[in-house]
Amino acid sequence: MSAESMKQYHEEIRESLDNAFLRETLDKFAVAYRANRTAVFADLNAKELIKEIADAKDKYVSRLDELYEQFSREASKRGVHVHRAATAADANEIICRIARENNCTKIIKSKSMTGEEIHINTALEAAGCKVVETDLGEWIIQLRKEGPTHMVMPAIHLSRHQVADVFAVETKRKQDSDIERLVKVARRELRVKFAEADMGISGANFALADTGTVAICTNEGNGRLTTTLPRVHVALCGLDKLCPDIHSAMRVINVLPRNATAQIITSYVSWMTGATNCGVTPDRKKIMHVVFLDNGRSALAKDPACRDVLRCVRCGACANVCPVYRMVGGHKMGYVYIGAIGLILTYFYHGRDRARALVQNCINCEACKDICAAGIDLPAIIQEIRARLVEEEGSPLESTLLAKVLSNRGMFHTLLRFGKWAQRPVTGGTPFVRHLPDIFLKGQGFRALPAIAGTPFRNKWKKLAEGLPQKGKYRVALFAGCAQDFIYPEQLEAALEVFKAGDCSVDFPMEQSCCGLPVQTMGERKASENVAFQNVKAFAAGGYDYIITLCASCASHLKHSYPGLLASYPNMTFEVEQFASRIIDFTSFTRDVLGLGEEGLRRTDEKVCYHAPCHSCRGLGVTEQPRDLLKAGGNYLPSAEEDSCCGFGGTYSVKFPEISAEILNRKLNAFEASGASTLVTDCPGCVMQLRGGEEKRGRKLKVQHMAEFLSSRLKK
Amino acid sequence: MSAQESPAITLFKQKAAVVSAKVTEVKGVREAMAYALDVCEKKEFCEQLLSGGGDKPSDSGAAQGERAAVKMIAAPGLDAAVFKTLEAEGSKKGFTVIREGMRRYLAGIDVGFSTADLAVAETGTCVMAAENEDLRLATMVCEIHVIALAKSKIVNSLYDAEEYIQKLMEGGVMYTSFISGPSRTADIERVLTLGVHGPLELHIALMEE
Repeated sequence: MSAESMKQYHEEIRESLDNAFLRETLDKFAVAYRANRTAVFADLNAKELIKEIADAKDKYVSRLDELYEQFSREASKRGVHVHRAATAADANEIICRIARENNCTKIIKSKSMTGEEIHINTALEAAGCKVVETDLGEWIIQLRKEGPTHMVMPAIHLSRHQVADVFAVETKRKQDSDIERLVKVARRELRVKFAEADMGISGANFALADTGTVAICTNEGNGRLTTTLPRVHVALCGLDKLCPDIHSAMRVINVLPRNATAQIITSYVSWMTGATNCGVTPDRKKIMHVVFLDNGRSALAKDPACRDVLRCVRCGACANVCPVYRMVGGHKMGYVYIGAIGLILTYFYHGRDRARALVQNCINCEACKDICAAGIDLPAIIQEIRARLVEEEGSPLESTLLAKVLSNRGMFHTLLRFGKWAQRPVTGGTPFVRHLPDIFLKGQGFRALPAIAGTPFRNKWKKLAEGLPQKGKYRVALFAGCAQDFIYPEQLEAALEVFKAGDCSVDFPMEQSCCGLPVQTMGERKASENVAFQNVKAFAAGGYDYIITLCASCASHLKHSYPGLLASYPNMTFEVEQFASRIIDFTSFTRDVLGLGEEGLRRTDEKVCYHAPCHSCRGLGVTEQPRDLLKAGGNYLPSAEEDSCCGFGGTYSVKFPEISAEILNRKLNAFEASGASTLVTDCPGCVMQLRGGEEKRGRKLKVQHMAEFLSSRLKK
Repeated sequence: MSAQESPAITLFKQKAAVVSAKVTEVKGVREAMAYALDVCEKKEFCEQLLSGGGDKPSDSGAAQGERAAVKMIAAPGLDAAVFKTLEAEGSKKGFTVIREGMRRYLAGIDVGFSTADLAVAETGTCVMAAENEDLRLATMVCEIHVIALAKSKIVNSLYDAEEYIQKLMEGGVMYTSFISGPSRTADIERVLTLGVHGPLELHIALMEE
């Protein structure tokens, strides 16, 4: 990416971060949404329903052409004109032609993200039509001449006062900022638009192939009026909205409103089958057109690594839970489509230039993957796009360097050791890097960065191994990960104490290297495969019962990404499977395998709180074990949003320090508010971020890795 | 109400309340109509959202707060005999009662009265086969929509409603409406506000028969 476009992006991000109203609104929303969603799903098995939607959608994404033919046949039979547009320009041309041929100039619209995708308003206005959005949020942003900042709440970034101001201009009279009154202004001002319009444009949530039915979900009633009053109705529909029958739609309706706004259902679901009754046409039949938009969707359906994005039901939940969206809002988190899905769809529907900076802005916390109504692995697809950008355009310098270095374990480890000497003038003998000139680490002032350890774990291993059981109950291998090997060897040493107490014989294969996640997230596909290959080989001959890592991100990457990364390597399938199935995180191993609990720990009254690393709670589904251990060893005090990201995200915090810092601040506020004196987590990356942040703030909380917490409490 | 009320009916009442619909139990359609007339009587005169009115609305909205001089109930799609009763009872109270020509009243009417063909308990939804344009308009431009729903029409889940709707769709041309509560928005500062482009209130007269 050009430094210029990235620089501009950072400037825009700064503006959002400084927008107090936006920050407060999105903060409140993030918290309320979580609670409301949990409540509205109380009677349902959300995971199961989502799995059903994903499986069903996969089946029909592969036969969109067939469904299109069937829809077209059935709808035509019922008097509807069906079109298929290959590109956005084609769709605009078709819709402008429909307007022209039917002498329509006054057009009303109900909400359509697909309409935003093709910028239909601009096209119609250029053709001499007057277009009015009738969804309240869409109307507000249309009057302000800006794009949506959320897929279902397009004006979430605006205050009532801003709305009153824009309504005052539109109505040419002063407007009160009372929300109920503002809504009534829209009701009044837009009624006349409905009454006068000769053409209505809607989107479509579903296109049912078996009956040629188009369905829309709306709350305000504008959708029902838009599709009823004007004599011409055009439904603009992404090809991916095709589904076989009503059951496919009902399944989605069970999840879509719940996931979007925590409603059990939208106020209206309108199912339009054929050219319906219309009072103002000669034959009393609505002039109805359905325009299907391809714009890359057919190609996407044939793209195995990314086709899951066609499952998307446009609920917007990926933005609702995104820690980055919460900080910067929708205008910085998508071009037309917003949130994680927005980063992806911008690349596919609006091109590389618009996507280049955006796709870097994912912290890979997997909150979106966890909540997606269609079970899409959004972070994985974002990484895939980064890899494609690297392949298409070459790597930025820092990414090339990292890829080269990581591919060569010897060189990587030598460099890390060298770092120990290089940093000396800046640590002042403390475990933090203190006086590094800003040129080296731009924007990193929000946290103290740890110093590289005097002796890495791998150099101490031989000596440490002497004190461990030779023929223990379990034969385990330690996967150290870079952060603990070279920065926090004491965390691994603490873990050895726990293993010893649990009668484990431990091995540390020297050929292991970085897990590869940093290069993976930078889109360096080849380097990522290389280190995966090296690591699997390094552990292949050991005959271990378990391969344990103290880093949640390593664990999740080794377990879940390696099989895919090495899928094309000949004769590796078995080895990789063996490797991946033996990977376990330290906390789960300690609690579930060793059975550590109250019997094995000296409980103290120390007040402890817990940060759940993203790749532990979501990546590995580990939720009970760490809390059980904390309760067994101390006085565990819950804090707000324990499961939300700390803002580290590996290279993310270097790329977007301004966002990382704000996410961290919010987290630390919550932990400090819990009243605890110690904060425990089970990932060295999180330790680095949280401890560094606390150091900068003046060290109120002691930040420990779970291994340190446990080893200090082991009953001898 | 009755001791042996089916779980689906109980659930429907509960979920209808969640989506801000007001449920009242009545014996039959006559009582449902009486309820609608009563609602109409008690409400304020309908606010007129278009100044010109009729077929040719003016370019701008009417002066704020302008209200109709006569109360109006529309019940398109109602069985002819039943409509006659409604008309007769409505006239006694001085209401205009219509069943067609809704395009003349887009500025707003007081009450829209309709029957539901089916209802879904889990979501508090009333289902209407609304191919009749006047029916769609009456239930959108009214300030209060009163739906008469027979208890026997309540099914448990959306899936249970599929068969009925599928038949409507297979039959040819159809506009099927799911209505769950009044029209609503949370587009300004996420504050829930009832009554945007459609009804301000939704009442359900739940009929024993």
